[in-house]
Amino acid sequence: MYVYDQFDHALVRERNAEFSDQVARRLSGELSEDQFKPLRLMNGLYLQLHAYMLRIAIPYGVLSSVQMRRFAHIARTYDRDFGHFTTRQNLQFNWIKLADTPKILEELAEVEMHAMQTSGNCIRNTTTDQFAGAAKDELDDPRPWAELIRQWSTIHPEFTFLPRKFKIAITGATKDRAAIRVHDIGLHLTPKGFDVYVGGGMGRTPHLGHLIKSGVPGEKLLSYLEACLRVYNRYGRRDNIYKARIKILVSALGPDEYARQVEEEWAQLDQAAIDAPYYEIDRIRTFFPDPAYADKAFDAAALDRAKAADPGFARWVRNNTHPHKRDDHVSVTISTKPVGLPPGDASSAQMDVMADVADSFAYSELRVAHDQNIILPHVAKADLYDLYQQLDRVNLSTANAKKITDIIACPGLDYCSLANARSIPLSQEISKKFSDANLTDEIGELEIKISGCINACGHHHVGHIGILGVDKQGIEVYQIMLGGRADEKAALGVITGKGLSAEAVPGALERVVRLYLQLRTSPAERFIDVVERLGRETFAEALHEPA
Amino acid sequence: MKLLTANRLTDGLVLWYSGSGWVEDAALAARLEDDAAEALKAEWVARETEVVAPYLIPVTDAGDPVQREHVREFVRANGPTIGQTTFDTAKQFNRDEVF
Repeated sequence: MYVYDQFDHALVRERNAEFSDQVARRLSGELSEDQFKPLRLMNGLYLQLHAYMLRIAIPYGVLSSVQMRRFAHIARTYDRDFGHFTTRQNLQFNWIKLADTPKILEELAEVEMHAMQTSGNCIRNTTTDQFAGAAKDELDDPRPWAELIRQWSTIHPEFTFLPRKFKIAITGATKDRAAIRVHDIGLHLTPKGFDVYVGGGMGRTPHLGHLIKSGVPGEKLLSYLEACLRVYNRYGRRDNIYKARIKILVSALGPDEYARQVEEEWAQLDQAAIDAPYYEIDRIRTFFPDPAYADKAFDAAALDRAKAADPGFARWVRNNTHPHKRDDHVSVTISTKPVGLPPGDASSAQMDVMADVADSFAYSELRVAHDQNIILPHVAKADLYDLYQQLDRVNLSTANAKKITDIIACPGLDYCSLANARSIPLSQEISKKFSDANLTDEIGELEIKISGCINACGHHHVGHIGILGVDKQGIEVYQIMLGGRADEKAALGVITGKGLSAEAVPGALERVVRLYLQLRTSPAERFIDVVERLGRETFAEALHEPA
Repeated sequence: MKLLTANRLTDGLVLWYSGSGWVEDAALAARLEDDAAEALKAEWVARETEVVAPYLIPVTDAGDPVQREHVREFVRANGPTIGQTTFDTAKQFNRDEVF
């Protein structure tokens, strides 16, 4: 993974010193809250419902065991012994003291981490495929490009005060696991260069991104992105926060006109001064080599015997491993979603174990997936049973990747000051309703995504079943959307039926799922396939109790 | 009637005005007459080296936040309703949930 150079170290050190001084001035009263708020937000520090929340950047979700162990230490020392992994592939601590933040940032800097640009109207953490560099279906590794974008966008003087926040995602595989069509800019790395999608997003007015250019050469990527951002920065709506995202601009201009303006801007830019030279791109690539794969003898018969003796292990191998480009390895999904527990939360003890198993079995590397799970990208098949047993001891062996209990949920009204309704308790109740692992296996792939407000941090617009919590005169009501998906066939879900109480949702979903099981032509036909074949309305009646 | 609440500057924890000062336990929050509540809020908005973002919560005759504020203030007063910090705030004061 990328290693800080002297410039990175100096930048983070100087920024931490600056923020430390700002915190001291706020505590002394020299800075007012109005003056301090934008400064703390630029350093990832929010004031939430119960306390300060610190959001730490995990660049493109890539994490070392050393960094994971440091998260565990921070959780134990400064928080209430746990952290929360987010859909932006970042980590949030929910109970941070303002006075402790300079020390925490110092401890993060020691392991080459920071919290810059995890808030504010700037370019946020670029996200990517959690299986980058490992997946069998990958054409090219997106991580060096994500790192290039990170370096370009960090404290970019022109793009620090955009009309609104700006999110970029990039994938290099045939399957889109980075949700590129619902990002401000989505990049698809192809053999001919980058396909650039612009104007996607969720929130109050969801849009799918439009392909505005194909085949942008890698060595021209930064100047093309700069042109995209410049047009947005110039014409994006600053007068109305609800219309300030680039999706509104692209929609208003039309994708063709926006693309034309970008071309015009690109043509007049000093591209040579912006684009990274070949040798710099090659230098960044050197930070992302394949691991020194261990040539461990793989005994397929021994794996089969272990699976036969331990059905839980067999299920976990079936559900939580992903094909690797090497036949003797797999990528492993560590589910943070045991039945009945909050999605994305991990205790310090669990973080320590994840760091330990990464050292023992995964070349010391982990990833945070946008579905809030943790990934070990490279694991020798020979090590799977040992790995599973160690994870099982700390409740990290739930075999539900991509299943109905693998729910994305934002923090919701339990933590977030913007939320209108709770989302995690609902996810817990749904997962209890589907706690029978045989049933979840029978159901197959089904993605539920829950947001506690219209901002859509829980990606409800692109859930096969999306759930949006709203406040109706003080009562939490949940709207159900069907048919969304974030993959290479991206689609936005549509509200189906009337809003439901929290108590009614699990039963409604059970009826929908039972109907799906009746309607599918074979187990290979997933829920989303049936919704697309028969239409969402097929399920509308099932959402409501029979009269 | 209204309750006055805020977050403490140094650690962000939720505070409630008890009638004589700030406390962490919502069970001790004072029900304030509307005019007095507005005056207190104005006073504390200016004292921002101690608290951040003070605001008033309308309450019913029984002292509970009115329906519209109920879930949010229930969570603030008792702690998250989930996970390993479930009702941490209520537990800290060895009491049942309020509101």
